[in-house]
Amino acid sequence: MLEVKDVVKSFKTGDHTIKPVNGVSFSVEQGTFAAILGKSGSGKSTLLSLLGALDKATSGDVLVDGVNISQLPDSKLTAYRRDDIGFVFQQYNLIPNLSAKENVMLPMEFAGVSRAERSARAVELLSQVELAEETHDRKANKLSGGQQQRVSIARALANRPKLILADEPTGNLDDETGELIIELLRSLCQEKNTTILVVTHDQALARKTNRRFRLARGKITEITQG
Amino acid sequence: MSVLARSVGNAFRNKVRSGAVVIILAVAIGLALSMLVANQAVADKITSLKASVGNNLTVNPAGSRGGQGGGEPLTAADLSTASTVAHVSSVTGTLSLRLSSNASTTATAPGGQGGGPAGRAASGTTSLVSAIDPGTLGNRANGSTSSSGGTGAGSTAVRPAFSIPIEATGIAGAVNAAGVPINITDGTALNDFAGTSAQALVGSTLATKNSLKVGSMFTVDDRTMTISGIFDAGTAFDNNAIYLPLTAAQTLASRPGEISTMTVLVDSIDNVDAAKTALASALGSTRVDVTAGSANLGSAISSLSSVQSISLIGFIAALGTAGLIVLLIMIMVVRERRREIGVLKAIGASNRSIGVQFVFEALVLVVMGSVVGAVIAAFSSNSIVGALVSSNTGTTTAAARSGRQALRAAGQTAGGFGAAAGPGGGRGAFAGASRLIGTVSTSLGWQTLVLGVLGILLIAALGALIPALLTAKVRPIEVLRGE
Repeated sequence: MLEVKDVVKSFKTGDHTIKPVNGVSFSVEQGTFAAILGKSGSGKSTLLSLLGALDKATSGDVLVDGVNISQLPDSKLTAYRRDDIGFVFQQYNLIPNLSAKENVMLPMEFAGVSRAERSARAVELLSQVELAEETHDRKANKLSGGQQQRVSIARALANRPKLILADEPTGNLDDETGELIIELLRSLCQEKNTTILVVTHDQALARKTNRRFRLARGKITEITQG
Repeated sequence: MSVLARSVGNAFRNKVRSGAVVIILAVAIGLALSMLVANQAVADKITSLKASVGNNLTVNPAGSRGGQGGGEPLTAADLSTASTVAHVSSVTGTLSLRLSSNASTTATAPGGQGGGPAGRAASGTTSLVSAIDPGTLGNRANGSTSSSGGTGAGSTAVRPAFSIPIEATGIAGAVNAAGVPINITDGTALNDFAGTSAQALVGSTLATKNSLKVGSMFTVDDRTMTISGIFDAGTAFDNNAIYLPLTAAQTLASRPGEISTMTVLVDSIDNVDAAKTALASALGSTRVDVTAGSANLGSAISSLSSVQSISLIGFIAALGTAGLIVLLIMIMVVRERRREIGVLKAIGASNRSIGVQFVFEALVLVVMGSVVGAVIAAFSSNSIVGALVSSNTGTTTAAARSGRQALRAAGQTAGGFGAAAGPGGGRGAFAGASRLIGTVSTSLGWQTLVLGVLGILLIAALGALIPALLTAKVRPIEVLRGE
């Protein structure tokens, strides 16, 4: 379960203090497919970075299964990102000179999984995200956008995380491919009971999630109407 | 894929840039290795030069060497003083004399032997005939055919034929003036060192010239000497000499107690410098010149030490350059890959594993540079050492050359014997240090290679460490920059 309690993130720019996230509170049950909607600059990515322990909140708590990650030291945060979180980025962020399979193996290498085991799991995950076998050993920069995003999702699943945070996962894809990726995330959420939180400004994508939140001027509200 | 394999892959992500970096590193590392090879070759040469000279110090009256120059002679009291100096094991005194042959003396009167414009007069006469033909060099140096412009009207006088004097050395043991054992090829060494002794050793060429053998007799002044042995000193010039008992030589030359050269044996090669200073202090630094081994050893070692210092500085500078190249390249790579580092951190990589990856990446470049650099060093180190040694000994040689010219100029005005110090003789005080140094040969031995590569890897690791530490400062949120 993901619980966010009165989280504030502020930046100082000259004499001004900006609060892209200002007293955000919400909770999401395990296995929920949720979306956070908001315009550009509304603080969506900042909130995502706080939930994924990429950055630290100025105040407030983020609890994952009861563990307050806002108070963890850096070494524990590394372990948290490695074991409990999976990221899917708009620009995929694969390591370009590694193959699709090697990219998926990478988080498992950091987790100390044996080479044989991580190789077998990488093949399994790439098959799950429906990436053709002949492309498994292709360098990441030789894959199409849709293929790269599938590899990115497989990499996010590598260490069986409790939470997957996706930042505009369809932002760089055409509508058809975007649909396929959303369906893939949705099915993974159901099959693996993984909480998936998608940050997007795409209403169509958001409509396919179980819960939707809107972030505006640093404040979050849940969208209840269908 | 392991960290190492990933690092190797990353090192070749940009092949053109990596190739250029490897070439630049190879040049810097090649230069560093060449300098290291030069340093070790020169160090070996210095050791061998010191070893060849041994623990001996030579003490001469200030301003003289052997039988040449000026100053006041040494005495038996100086021998006693020298033997009490710290680290001195033994002291041997010798007296150098020059004997003109009876026939030559008659022929060259009234100018007499050494009556030329340069040098010093002979110390006595002998029945022996010199085995060395003065030739063009000896006659030229002795001014036998020089013009006597000072007599006015431009008249030219041809001097009588010049004969190289015979070197006679009074010794008190079985070693010569340089402290080296005399190589007796026939007969026995001297064993009667009394003032009345009639024993003598004769050089092989002199014995042949005068048809002498062990037991033959000849005269020195009015004393008849008997040959107890024939020696070989290695060169025609040095074999045109005789050895006499020291006291007999002093008696014959009417120089009782007088010594021209002291050879001091020091207890250890490490104490040579200390003993040298102590001897100069005990005997009076204005009275005596104390030299280690040969006259040129000091300048030769000084030249080689300069080469050693230059090569050491060169080694350190080239290593530093290699380290700087690695540092700058890796800083550039880290800045380029900030976002990628952010990705790695976002997916769970620790600071340590990312740092190790970047250090390995730097080491891959350095190892490749080292391999190419070692090949460069193998082909260039000899030339570099040669150039360094010749450029440094060039200064010495130039000084020696000007010294010889000065000596000749002095000889032409003061009169006397100058052939020994002339360019042909090569035995004088200014004989080139470069000749003593000879050839400094280099080889890229495994020890040099290992030492060099270890040094380079150390610098490379240090050069890569700072960029690796910089990666620790990259925050994982970098991954969202531009998202």
